[in-house]
Amino acid sequence: MKVSVVIVGHVDHGKSTLIGRLLYDSDSITEGRVEEIQKLAEEYKKRFEFAYFLDSFDDELKEERTIDTTGVMFKGEKNLYSITDVPGHKEFIKNMLTGASHAEVAVLVVAADEGIQEQTGRHAFLINMLDIKKLFVMVNKMDAVDYREEIFLDIRNKVAKLLTSFGYHDVVFIPGSALEGDNIYKPCERMGWYHGPTLIEALDSVELPPKEVKPLRFVVQDTYLVDSDKVIVGRVESGVLKKGAEVIFQPSGVTGKVEKITEFQGELEKAEMGDSVGIIVNKEVKRGDVCGLVEVPPMSTEEFLGEAVLLEKDLRKGDILELRCGTRRVKCEIREIKEKINSETGEVVERNPAEISENEAATILFATEPLVVEKFSEIPELGRFILVRGRNIGAGVVLEVSR
Amino acid sequence: MSELKDLENKTLYIIREAYAEFKRPAVLWSTGKDSTTMLWLCRKAFFGKIPFPVIHIDTGYKFKQMYEFRDRIAAEWGLDLVIARNEKAMKEGIGPKDGKFECCTKLKTQALMECLEKNGFDAFILAIRRDEHGIRAKERYFSPRDEDFRWNYKDQPLEMWDQYQSITEDKTHTRVHPILHWRELDVWEYVKQEKMPVNAMYFAKGGKRYRSLGCEPCTSTIDSDAKTIDEIVEELKVTKIAERSGRAQDKEKAFTMQKLRALGYM
Repeated sequence: MKVSVVIVGHVDHGKSTLIGRLLYDSDSITEGRVEEIQKLAEEYKKRFEFAYFLDSFDDELKEERTIDTTGVMFKGEKNLYSITDVPGHKEFIKNMLTGASHAEVAVLVVAADEGIQEQTGRHAFLINMLDIKKLFVMVNKMDAVDYREEIFLDIRNKVAKLLTSFGYHDVVFIPGSALEGDNIYKPCERMGWYHGPTLIEALDSVELPPKEVKPLRFVVQDTYLVDSDKVIVGRVESGVLKKGAEVIFQPSGVTGKVEKITEFQGELEKAEMGDSVGIIVNKEVKRGDVCGLVEVPPMSTEEFLGEAVLLEKDLRKGDILELRCGTRRVKCEIREIKEKINSETGEVVERNPAEISENEAATILFATEPLVVEKFSEIPELGRFILVRGRNIGAGVVLEVSR
Repeated sequence: MSELKDLENKTLYIIREAYAEFKRPAVLWSTGKDSTTMLWLCRKAFFGKIPFPVIHIDTGYKFKQMYEFRDRIAAEWGLDLVIARNEKAMKEGIGPKDGKFECCTKLKTQALMECLEKNGFDAFILAIRRDEHGIRAKERYFSPRDEDFRWNYKDQPLEMWDQYQSITEDKTHTRVHPILHWRELDVWEYVKQEKMPVNAMYFAKGGKRYRSLGCEPCTSTIDSDAKTIDEIVEELKVTKIAERSGRAQDKEKAFTMQKLRALGYM
């Protein structure tokens, strides 16, 4: 099984070191790489760090912090892991979100000698917003506190309380040290008081829930002329697309029958979630349309309530910007900012504010050109959106759709 | 095999997004296994006929077998092949003797830059992968470059949920990386599954094979007995040797690859 894991947490709590340790202990480091890094560390007058397996920009090495997200893969006993490292610094939240947005499992790293810090809360808030359901907490740097149980218990209580407020219950907490390799791959004798799993055992125990069967949603990317056929290309975001199905495209409002499902040199009887295919309907549709079954049709809307996090610049009531969902781009207006949310704690800090700033979150009423969105809790693939103003400046999820 | 299907699905989606979002894209083809896989995937995305030019950056130093492979496949697949050469630097006799950084920048990066200017391309589709090199692991699927070709790696766009930033302020072109999430092993398993043509230099002769193809003076073989695709797949499952260990420009100095890439190297 392939499992995508993101390692999150505050700056300098040991995320990159933890991944470097995982790679090292799982014997995934290529020949000569350790020596290469040793040489590099000497050149820069630094101590050898496992983090240097990940931090490959020279500035990252000089500044001893991760700037951008990195993806690495390694084979565990049971699973193939795709591990994403993200920066723990506040100014790089957009890089954190980029890295975390495709993860199925998160490991929140909290340093035993510092406990909860600003990005501990913010990262927990964001992984919850991204709907990453499976979470582990690694209480790292236990070596720096002499492996004392009471320190671990104290942090566990505080972090568990924070996580409960974000809806995470019964989270497994692992005390360890990425630097020393304690409870990462190998159990640690110095923490005889701990009887839980090592990090790799915890990851190996993850069972990903089977994909639920949901209503068909196929997003249209383009139409190509292949021989004399007009082939509508796109992706099945949810449900099952079958040959012969009666479908409707929104917001175009076009209906038709799926004559063929095609791919290069072949035809299919059906396409499932995630499949990139072509369909022949013999109707004109547009990029950005969403196709569904006539019985369970996608609905076009011009207003919805979303929760969004802003990554740069200010966002004011009345601002006009671009919103992207699926393959659709529309103009949208910030009709109302309902609540400003502290992205460190998840608490509402202000009602009906005139504006929000960088790294703040808010529930916002959006007025848009017609588009199809779904509630994030129902069809997440069409319940998430990006805000664009010259560049991608924010991301959010759909809470309620006005019909 | 469903994992390969997942990889392919995502890549087809990205290629089609690039084609829909950009006015004049092109795909780069070195004739190596990754970019040949990319062409294969482009053919799949567009049902056989790639609707944009295929650029081959010719440094003049490529292996003879690479040129032969290029011409054979270009004819078989009906490619709109554009050959990019920095004629001026080639005439001046630039080569690895001038330093690998200098040579790669002039013969590859600048050749591509001239090709962009001449043809007005606004996107290059490239077959780089995260697991090839630490610096490539930091890339986005859509990566904007400024008019000097520079990669502002300290300020990369937010990219989530398959929403790629294609509109950019003051940027001249975008690099598109549809197989960023593939591993070397995935590429070979895919080559096997699809019965794709690959350059015979990848197969072992006399206990040596090429694991990564580049220019002749800067590319060396690895010890290997893998004579077939199956044997390569088996070798990759256990190897501890880095994929680009035979590529001299990566190893000249620490961060050479970062510096090359910051200037617009692939």
